[in-house]
Amino acid sequence: MNEQFRIAHKLGLMFLHDTPLPKDVKAWTISQLHAKSPALGIKKIQISTKTEPKEWPKSHQPDLLERDNMFSTYKYNRKREEMGLDGHTSEAAKRDNERKNLLGKLDQLKFAHRNVYGDDQVKLRFTAFWANHFTTGNIWDNQNHIGHAIDEAILANLNGNFAHMLYKMTTHSSMLTYLDNCWSCGENSQEAIWARKDGFQAGLNDNLGRELLELHTVSPTAKYTESDIKNAANVLAGWGIWPGRITGDDELLSTEQRHKKLYEMGGTINSWDFFKKTHAEPGTKKVLGKVIPAGKGGLKHLTDFLSSHEHTINYISFKLAQHFVNDNPSKADVDYIKKAWKTGNGNLDQIHTAVIERAISSKEPKFQWPMTWLFQVVRLSGATYFKGWDELEVYNRGVMDAREIFEELGQSFWHERQPNGYPLDKREWLSGEMFERRIRFADAIYTAGYPTSNPDEIMDRIGANETTRNLVNSLSRRKDQFIALMCSPELMGLENA
Amino acid sequence: MPKLNLTRREFLKVSGTSLFLAGLPLPGFTKDKPPGTISVIMLEGGMDGLTAVPPFGDPNLSKMRNSLTPDNYLKLNSFFGLHPSFQYFSGLMAKNNASIVHATNFPYILRSHFEGQNLMQGGGLSPFSETSGWLGRSLELAKLPGRSLSLDMPLILRGTDRNDNFYPASIRSSSNLKTKLIDMISMFHSKEGSSVFKKVSKKSAQKDSIVPRDPASLAKYAGKAMSQEGGPLSSVIKVTQFDTHANQGADEFGKHGKLLKLVDEIIAGYREGLGDAWDNSIILTLTEFGRTVRVNGTWGTEHGYGSAGLLAGGSITKSRVISKWPGLAENEQFEKRDLMSTIDYRSVCAACIEKSLGLDHDIIADKVFFTPELPRVYDYIFS
Repeated sequence: MNEQFRIAHKLGLMFLHDTPLPKDVKAWTISQLHAKSPALGIKKIQISTKTEPKEWPKSHQPDLLERDNMFSTYKYNRKREEMGLDGHTSEAAKRDNERKNLLGKLDQLKFAHRNVYGDDQVKLRFTAFWANHFTTGNIWDNQNHIGHAIDEAILANLNGNFAHMLYKMTTHSSMLTYLDNCWSCGENSQEAIWARKDGFQAGLNDNLGRELLELHTVSPTAKYTESDIKNAANVLAGWGIWPGRITGDDELLSTEQRHKKLYEMGGTINSWDFFKKTHAEPGTKKVLGKVIPAGKGGLKHLTDFLSSHEHTINYISFKLAQHFVNDNPSKADVDYIKKAWKTGNGNLDQIHTAVIERAISSKEPKFQWPMTWLFQVVRLSGATYFKGWDELEVYNRGVMDAREIFEELGQSFWHERQPNGYPLDKREWLSGEMFERRIRFADAIYTAGYPTSNPDEIMDRIGANETTRNLVNSLSRRKDQFIALMCSPELMGLENA
Repeated sequence: MPKLNLTRREFLKVSGTSLFLAGLPLPGFTKDKPPGTISVIMLEGGMDGLTAVPPFGDPNLSKMRNSLTPDNYLKLNSFFGLHPSFQYFSGLMAKNNASIVHATNFPYILRSHFEGQNLMQGGGLSPFSETSGWLGRSLELAKLPGRSLSLDMPLILRGTDRNDNFYPASIRSSSNLKTKLIDMISMFHSKEGSSVFKKVSKKSAQKDSIVPRDPASLAKYAGKAMSQEGGPLSSVIKVTQFDTHANQGADEFGKHGKLLKLVDEIIAGYREGLGDAWDNSIILTLTEFGRTVRVNGTWGTEHGYGSAGLLAGGSITKSRVISKWPGLAENEQFEKRDLMSTIDYRSVCAACIEKSLGLDHDIIADKVFFTPELPRVYDYIFS
């Protein structure tokens, strides 16, 4: 591939078939870190005339409060269904409840559109890296919040500081729900004392405290103890409110009643800054030797401390290098990123710039995730492979829902999965079935997506190497050529034979 | 096929279960057939052994975890009970075709899922030290090329690049695979890419089979495949979501109880699918750690150490609960919080390999688990 496409393959999502290529590709890649990021997409699939991508309508991008309200409405309606209340038990009512109040399907389409139509391809790749680092899979029905976390806690904070992103992710409903923190309280909190008096169970849940140390920051190399984990969990105790039903038994709340209750519990209806004093553990806590003050502000002290910890910098610099530079990054690659991290005190622009520089200077191919590859194939070929935002509920004979596509592909940020995320190296993806999916999706994109560029045009534009050309030219049917091109070692990021 | 599609989605979303088959002898393979088959059910997230097999004879059980213990457990003997979700498994115990190992685990005490899962599959001496799995290495030692049924290739089965996998796709607008095209793609890839595409090519020559995706049907499918002449000798099924930090529940309708019910259905599915091959089969569960003895603040449990292992199959001819019970009193717990592990579960795995693949214990201890002094517990399970 020519230098523009080699870099777009490693660090971006490929130039759209009709975009002019930058002359100084390194400067372009770095400038991409500050590209504007409107959610671009299409309203409807139109095969005959080309559809200009437009910004997603506001009505399809609910804010956090609205997401909370919708989710809560969904949950209370489910409760009404359980209670057998009139108008809530029919199949039609259940479907209606899902369609009106759940956002997983819509958000997955928006995510796909961003990646296919966006002018911010490098930012989107870094967003995917961090969304995987801060995995919040679909557990406890948090599907209304995953997309919001990706857009607002990660993408919106890419030009800030790692410490800020860490804090915003740790306090986001998507994370607090996924790792069970919403229900945790300190052993000596007011809540725990009341509960014990009444013979109820209430106390600490260490799930998020543990993963904050193990996966999000210092990693096990820091040799933290169970006491560090418990204290991290104690710092977190009180944070979060499950946006679903906040009352037990058969009590059914309207949105207004629910908001009133939220004010009583946390003094706000903003679920992204929700701290229940009654659940907080009194006193200071010690994590990895650092004394953390009591109260709501304690968490910021903890995340700030962890984000500049030597082990955090080592661990995440390695992950960045492994994802963008090479499956087995050299010490020099990792050191280079570490140095940028330290020099800029965790400034993400500086960290990402260092990653870009190392990825460009390393000539090794880098195997791409299934979802990255799929977006690249669609962009390179000019195919229209995702429905429009107005077609969410419309069956399409040729094209599946974005949600189904990710499911068949075996990779999605909305899947129910473990908090360590998807592997960054190729080893676990090297399976016959995973490769078979690439052939089938290349076929489907060709068949149902009506690409605007043919294989020869694509090869010329990207400056395909000799092996790719020989492979494509050994086949005669246009469709076979297209599949072979997209499954060539060059476009998958593997070695040539 | 929209119907299959729907079942599949249901399966992926609800149960999070995947199936892997391995150890498929190649045609013309001359080595004597090994004595039996081995199947592993991986319980991801940390199965609560004290809920699954409550030691009701220990006075501390009701004191420390009353809200996690089902009232309606089935009595196995004067000390151990069985969770009511295990209806089928209890029947196998009555028929002397199932056993339980309690207060056991891999020797891993640091309570990280990812290190623990890596060890339980890799069977190495420290987390992430191995790039192959203990079952894959065993199959390699027994000289049995394998095949797995899944989208990815789990670590436990890695260790021989003759392994293959299979998992039906359902992608709209894609047509049947063309062998010639795939062969061509394979030719232009280097070693690793090429060998994976070759497997795709081989598959393209076979007819697609339709496999329902609920765990019991998957197990039945696996059992049936293993029962056939020249079929796979090993399979792995994964059940996720045992990590019940909140609202764990006690009985068969609780969060943990529902998952145990899935395990029970998987074992029943195997029994049905295996048919006569049941007599030479062994099925064992595997989990990265048990859970804390005490209930936590959110009606759940945290990561622990010792758990229980379930064994089933016709290879077992006398049912028993194998345990060196450590006790639940605080000073008997591991680090004053977890059930202690008194039996190295690697020994249990080694015994199952010895029985099914006919390998010598010393070879398994040395070459599969890198621990020549690993105790042999074969007689406790199979004599």
